[in-house]
Amino acid sequence: WKKDEFRNCNQTPFCKRARNRNPGFCTLEAHDVSISAGELTAKLSPKKSHQDNPDQQDEDQVKPLILSLSVFQDGIVRLKIDEDPKLDPPKKRFEVPEVILPEFLNKKIWLQRHSTETIGGDNSPSSIVYVADGYEAVLRHDPFEVYVREKGGNRVVSLNSHGLFDFEQLRVKKEGDDWEERFKGHTDTRPYGPQSISFDVSFYGSDFVYGIPEHASSLALKPTKGPGVEESEPYRLFNLDVFEYIHDSPFGLYGSIPFMISHGKYRGTSGFFWLNAAEMQIDVLGSGWNADSGISLPSSQSRIDTLWMSEAGIVDAFFFVGPKPKDVVRQYTTVTGTPAMPQLFAAGYHQCRWNYRDEEDVENVDSKFDEHDIPYDVLWLDIEHTDGKKYFTWDPVLFPHPEEMQRKLAAKGRHMVTIVDPHIKRDESFHLHKEATQKGYYVKDASGNDYDGWCWPGSSSYPDMLNEEIRSWWADKFSFGNYVGSTPSLYIWNDMNEPSVFNGPEVTMPRDALHEGGVEHRELHNAYGYYFHMASTEGLLKRGDGKDRPFVLSRALFAGSQRHGAIWTGDNTADWDHLRVSVPMILTLGLTGISFAGADVGGFFGNPEPGLWVRWYQLGAFYPFFRGHAHQDTKRREPWLFGERNTELVRDAIHMRYMLLPYFYTLFREANVSGVPVIRPLWMEFPSDEATFSNDEAFMVGSSLLVQGVYTERAKHVSVYLPGKESWYDLRTGEVFKGGKTHKLEVSEESVPAFQRAGTIIPRKDRFRRSSTQMTNDPYTLVIALNSTQEAEGELYVDDGKSFEFAKGAYIHRRFTFSDGLLTSISIPPTSPGKARFSSECIIERIILIGYSVKPKTALIEPSNQKVEIELGPLLVKPRGGSAVTTVRKPNIPIAGDWTIKIL
Amino acid sequence: ASPPPKYQFIGIAPQDERYYKSSEVIKCKDGSKKFSKAQLNDDFCDCPDGTDEPGTSACPNGKFYCQNAGHVPQQLFSSRVNDGICDCCDGSDEYDGKVKCPNTCWEAGKVFRDKLKRKIATYQEGVSIRKQEVEQAKLAMAKDEAELSKLQHEEKILKGLVQQLKERKEQIDKAEEKERLRKEKEEKEKKEAENEAKQERSEAVEKADGEDELTESKYDDKIGLLQDSTSDQDVVEDQDRLAAEDEPSDTFQYEDSMVHHAEQHTAKETVESAAISDAELDVGSKATSDDFMDSGKDASENTEALSREELGRLVASRWTGENTGKETGDSDAEKNNNHEDHEEMTKGTHDEEYDGYASETDDDHQRYDDDSVEDEADEDFVEEHHDDSDSPYKPESDTELDLSDMTTPSNPSWLEKIQQTVWNMLQAVNLFQTPVNQSEAAVVRKEYDESSTKLSKIQARISTLTRKLKQDFGPDREFYSFYDQCFESKQNKYVYKVCPYKQASQVEGHSTTRLGQWDKFEDSYKVMIFANGDRCWNGPDRSLKVKLRCGLKNEVTDVDEPSRCEYIALLSTPVLCLEGKLKELEHKLDLMNMEQPRNHDEL
Repeated sequence: WKKDEFRNCNQTPFCKRARNRNPGFCTLEAHDVSISAGELTAKLSPKKSHQDNPDQQDEDQVKPLILSLSVFQDGIVRLKIDEDPKLDPPKKRFEVPEVILPEFLNKKIWLQRHSTETIGGDNSPSSIVYVADGYEAVLRHDPFEVYVREKGGNRVVSLNSHGLFDFEQLRVKKEGDDWEERFKGHTDTRPYGPQSISFDVSFYGSDFVYGIPEHASSLALKPTKGPGVEESEPYRLFNLDVFEYIHDSPFGLYGSIPFMISHGKYRGTSGFFWLNAAEMQIDVLGSGWNADSGISLPSSQSRIDTLWMSEAGIVDAFFFVGPKPKDVVRQYTTVTGTPAMPQLFAAGYHQCRWNYRDEEDVENVDSKFDEHDIPYDVLWLDIEHTDGKKYFTWDPVLFPHPEEMQRKLAAKGRHMVTIVDPHIKRDESFHLHKEATQKGYYVKDASGNDYDGWCWPGSSSYPDMLNEEIRSWWADKFSFGNYVGSTPSLYIWNDMNEPSVFNGPEVTMPRDALHEGGVEHRELHNAYGYYFHMASTEGLLKRGDGKDRPFVLSRALFAGSQRHGAIWTGDNTADWDHLRVSVPMILTLGLTGISFAGADVGGFFGNPEPGLWVRWYQLGAFYPFFRGHAHQDTKRREPWLFGERNTELVRDAIHMRYMLLPYFYTLFREANVSGVPVIRPLWMEFPSDEATFSNDEAFMVGSSLLVQGVYTERAKHVSVYLPGKESWYDLRTGEVFKGGKTHKLEVSEESVPAFQRAGTIIPRKDRFRRSSTQMTNDPYTLVIALNSTQEAEGELYVDDGKSFEFAKGAYIHRRFTFSDGLLTSISIPPTSPGKARFSSECIIERIILIGYSVKPKTALIEPSNQKVEIELGPLLVKPRGGSAVTTVRKPNIPIAGDWTIKIL
Repeated sequence: ASPPPKYQFIGIAPQDERYYKSSEVIKCKDGSKKFSKAQLNDDFCDCPDGTDEPGTSACPNGKFYCQNAGHVPQQLFSSRVNDGICDCCDGSDEYDGKVKCPNTCWEAGKVFRDKLKRKIATYQEGVSIRKQEVEQAKLAMAKDEAELSKLQHEEKILKGLVQQLKERKEQIDKAEEKERLRKEKEEKEKKEAENEAKQERSEAVEKADGEDELTESKYDDKIGLLQDSTSDQDVVEDQDRLAAEDEPSDTFQYEDSMVHHAEQHTAKETVESAAISDAELDVGSKATSDDFMDSGKDASENTEALSREELGRLVASRWTGENTGKETGDSDAEKNNNHEDHEEMTKGTHDEEYDGYASETDDDHQRYDDDSVEDEADEDFVEEHHDDSDSPYKPESDTELDLSDMTTPSNPSWLEKIQQTVWNMLQAVNLFQTPVNQSEAAVVRKEYDESSTKLSKIQARISTLTRKLKQDFGPDREFYSFYDQCFESKQNKYVYKVCPYKQASQVEGHSTTRLGQWDKFEDSYKVMIFANGDRCWNGPDRSLKVKLRCGLKNEVTDVDEPSRCEYIALLSTPVLCLEGKLKELEHKLDLMNMEQPRNHDEL
C-alpha cells in the first residue's frame, strides 16, 4: 500500500476546511417556506446579521439556495438543496442520473399542506409535513435544520443540527483567482473554484452506525474523530485501485455508497443516503466530540453524529425511518433498486486465475475438476486472453478457438467469463479505438482532447459512460456478431473501472477531465464504474434479446450497482487478516443493497498456506459470490493442489455450497424482491440483541443459518455467539446448542462452525453434479429444525434459472410450515401479476427432522393418502455423515404441489 | 418406486455381481448398515459409502461401472449418472431417457487398442534397453567404487608423506632462520650501510618465497569478492556465456578474473567501488520493481519526476512485476537479476572448471558448494594448480593420477616412487649442516609442494566420487548413467537443459535462467524434482518437475510452465520401461481382445 500516493484529508482542501469548522458555523435560515408541486420548498440565505462575516463576503456565496423536501411511500424523505437556476449560476451542478429508479418517483406522496409549530425552546418556527404513519419531517427555519421524527416526539435522523452545513457556490474565475490544486506532480485546474458541500447528520437512539462501503474495516463503524480517537482519517469514498490494500482502514477502495445505517436497541434502525458521486469524506464523531460547542440537541436518546463532506454536486439526500433493519434496506432499495436476480449458475462456484494461459490450460483445469469430482460452474479468463489487451479480442496463439473452447465447457453445463475493462487501447488498428475516436466517445482532458491515460494496454482512452448514446454503443459491442469468438455461455467481468489509470493522480482519472455536457470528472468520479458496469450489463441483455439474465462482475461500484450484477472486494491478500475483513466488507455491501458480493477466495496477492486456503474455502462457500482467484505471480492453487486431505476438505466445502444451492437461490430471490441481503449481520435477524451489534465475525445466511469464520492459524477453539432464545443445530453433526450465549467450541478441521436455527426449514439438494446445470432435475431434501414448540418454517424458490420469465410469474415459490406434527407445503402468492408458469418434475426424496421429540415410524402423505417409512438416517449423505436423525424416506412428493405430511 | 427390473443391477462391476445377487439382504461395504434387495438402486441412498446405489446418483460416494464392451470398462463417479452428459462410450450412464447416448466404444476402442499396441511395442524394446543399462550401471559403479577405495588408500599414505615433508621443511626453515639471524648479527656488527641494504634485498626475496601461499589465498579472496560484487555488464555476459557452455574451459574464467585483478592491482579499492555501485543498483531496482510493500519514500518520491508514460508503466509494474519502461529501470532490474545469477554461477563454474581439469568424468558437485571445507580445498587447489602451470615445475600429468595406475597395475605405482624419493631425500638432507645446503632445501620444498598438491587432487577426487556414490540412483541403480548426462530440448526461443543430480536451466541466447538445482526423485522414481532456482519477482523460486516416461531414447519431449515459474518437463527414457508395467499393458490388451468379437457383433 502506497500511502503517500493518495491524498489524505489534510491534503484535500475541502475536507480539511470542513473538518476544522466548529459547530454553529452555519448561518443559513430558511425562508419563503411553501408547498409547491407536492413538495415543501424554501430558500436558504445567510442571516442578515451575519452578512458582514468576512467568510461570506464573496457575493457568489450569498445567493439564496433552493431547498425542496419531498416524501415517498414507506417512510422515505428526500431533501434537495441546490443553487437557484434562476440566479444564473455559472453552470448547472451535477445531479447523478440513472441511479434512482424511475418507479420510485411514482411513489411520491403529493404533499398538500404543512403545519407550522415552534418546537421546544426555539426562537423560530418549524414547518412540519406528514411522512408516514407515526412519522413527520421537520424543517426548522432558524437555525436551519431538517429532521425526521416520530410523530410529535423523538427524533430519528437530522441534518445540520450542529450547524456544520456549508455549500460553496460555483464561481466565475476572476483575475487573480488561483484555485488550482497540485498533488504528486498532477495539477487539477478547478475552473469553477471550490464547490464542496458539507453537513452534519445525527442518528438518534443509535448504538452503532454501519454502511458507507467500500472500506476494509469493521462492520460497526468506528469513530474517526472525537475524544479518545487517535488521529484518524475520515471514511473516504473515492473509487480507487489500491495496490495491496490494508485491512482495518478508513481508506477508500474501489467503490462508494454514501448510505449509512444506524441501529440501536430501543429506537431500532434508520438510514441516510446522499446521492452524490464526487469524492466524499465521512467522519463518525465519537461521543463528546462537541463537548464545548454549547449546542445541545433536544433529545436524551443516545445519538451518533456524523459529518459528511463532498467535493462537488448537490444535496440530494434521503432519510429512511426504518424502524427495523430490513425496513431500512427495503426503503433504500426502493430508491436505488433491488439486486438483480442472478442466473442459477452464477450462484455456484467460480474458478478464476490471472491467468488461465491457453486453451490447453483451460481444458486441463476443467478436466481436473471432474477427475476430483469437484463441481464448478464458471471458468474465468483474465486480461492475458486478449490480443494485446484489446478487449473483445482473443490472443490468436493462446486462444485460437474460443468458440470451441466455450462449447466444450458448455457441454458440461459450464460457463465462461472473460474480462472487459474500460480502458481502450490507443491503437489505430483497433476498431473499437478507431470508432470511439471518430465518434468522439472518449472522456476529454481539461483542454478538450481525448484523455490519454496509461493502463494494461499502455496508452489508453476511456469511453464516456455517462452518455446514454455511448453506453448503448458500448452495449452493442457484446453482440455475438461484434464480440467475435463469444458464445451464449460467455459472460463478462468488468475490472479497473474506478477507473484505474496507472499514471493518473491517485491512480485514477484527473478530476478536471470532462464528460458529456461539461460535467467534470470530479462530479461523477464515484459513478464512472457504475455506468460502465451498467453499459456492459445492458450489452448482455441486448445480446440475449432481453431473455437471458446478464452476469457481469464489477470491481467499482456505486449506489445502485446491485441492479447490474455482482461485486467483489478487489485485490485482497492471502493472509488471515484479509480473510477476517472479508466478512464485514461483504456484510456492509449487503446492507447497502449489494447482496451479490464476495471476496477472492484464497486471497489475490501472495500464496496462502494450506490452512488458510482451506479455511477460506470453508468460509467462502457461504459468500453470496463464491470465486477462487489468484495473482499471476502466485503458485497455482486449484482445489486439488494442496494434497489429498486438503483436496477433500475443499471438495466438502464446495459440496456444501452446492448442497445449499436451493436455499441460496431462494435468498437471492428474497433479495431481488425485498433488498434484504443474502448474508446478513446477526443484528438484522436479532435486532434487539445487543451482543450482536458489533459482531462481524459471524453472519447469517438468510434467516436460518449462522456461520462463524475461523480466522487464526491452527486454531483449536473458537467462540461463537448464538443469538436468540431458540436452539441451534450444527449443520454437519446435528448437535444442539443453546441460543443466547457464547459457546467455546472445538474447531473442526472439516468445516467452519455453521448452525441451523431451530424453527427453520432449509431446502437442499444432496446430489453432487459437475455443475449446477445438471442439478436441475435432482430431488430435494428438506431439513426441518424444530424449535421449542416443535414448529418450523421455511421457503423454497425455483425458476428456470436463466430467463426473465420469473418476472411474469413463471416460478415456484413454496412455504413449508411444520406444526402439530404436520408438514404443509403451500404456494406463496406471486408478488407481481403474470400468467407465465413454471413447472418442475422435481420431487422431495428425503425429509429430515432435527429436534423432534418423539420417535415416529411412518408418515401419511395427503392428498395422495400414501404411507411412507420413517427411519434414522444421516444428516449429511456421506461417510461419517453425522448422527442418526429422523428421516422420512422417499416421500417422493412433487416440489410444485400442495400437500401435507402427517408424522404418525 | 423401485427401479425397473432392467436397471436393478446396473452400474455393478462384474466382480461385485455375486456380492449383490447372492442374498436378499446386502451389507453396506463399510459395514455400517444392511439393505434389502429392493433398496438396491432404488434411487435413495441408504449406505453412506454408496454400496446400495451403484447405478444411480443418489449416493455421493457411489461408483458406476460401465462395461464399455469393445473399449475399456470405466468406473464413474455416481454424480455422472443420468446427468444429461454421455460419459460411458456404451452410453449406459444415461438411462433415464432424457438424452440418447450413441455407443461409440468400437471406434474409440480401436483407436485405443492401436495406441496400446504401439505402447507395448515401445515397452518391449525399452525393457531390454533398460536391462543393458542396468548392467552397465553396475559396471560403472563398481569401477567408481574401486577407484574410490584405491584413492582412499593412496590418500592415507600420501598424507603421511606430506606430513613428514612438512616437518622437514619447517626444520629447514628454522635452520635457515637461525643462520640468517646469525649472519645478520655479524653484519650488524660491521655497521656497513650499503651491505645492510643489500642484505635486506636478499631477505625480501626469501620472505616472498615463504609468503607465497598467503598471498595467493589473499588473491583468491579478492577475486571472490570482485566476482561477487561486480556489476560490469561484460563480466556478466562472460559469466553467462560460461554457464552456457557444456564444459567451460578452466582457464577462461580464471584468466578473466586475473585480468580484472591485473587491471585493478589495488584490488581493495576496486572492490569497494564495485560494492558501492552495487548498492546504488540495489536502490535503483527497489524503486522500480522490487518490494512495493515498502511504504518508504522510494518510488513515490520520484514519481513527480517521471513522464506520464513512465509513471503508467511504473504503477502497472506493481501488479505484474515487469520492467518499467523507464530505461534505467529496465537495465537496473536486469542487472539485478543477472547479478544474482552471476553470484551463483561463479561458484558453480569454479567447480565445473575444476572437475573438467581434474578428472575425465565431467563431475559437478556445485550442490555442495557451501557446505564443506573440502570445497575450499578444491578451490585452493585450482588456484595453486594454475600458478603451477605457469611455473617450470609442472607435476606429472593428471591422467597418470587418475587412471594410469589402475590400468597398469603391474608397474610400480607412482606412489611407491614418491615414497622412495621422499625417503631418500629425508635421509640425504643434513639438517645439522650449517649453512643448510641450498639445493637440498629446494628439493625438499619442491617435493613438499608437489606432494601436497597431489594430495589435494586426490582428496578432491575422493570427495567427487563420494558425492556421486552417495546419490540415489534408484533400486536397480538404473539412473547411474544420468549422473553424467544432460538432456536438452529446444522450445521456441528457449533451450531447456536438464542435468539430473545437478541442475536444470533455461537458456535464451546468452542468458541463462536457473530453473532449479537437483533435489530428489518423487513418486517412486517417476518424477525428478529440481528446486530453488532463480527467484521470480513477487513469486516463488523457480522449480522444475521432470516427469519420466518410458521411451527408447533419453529425450526431453516437452517443457511447460503451468504456473508462473513452476516448470514441468517430460523426459522419455528406457529406464522407465518396467517389465511389470509391460505385463500390465499386455494383459489389458488381451482383455480387450477377448471382448472384441462379441461386442462387434452387438454393433
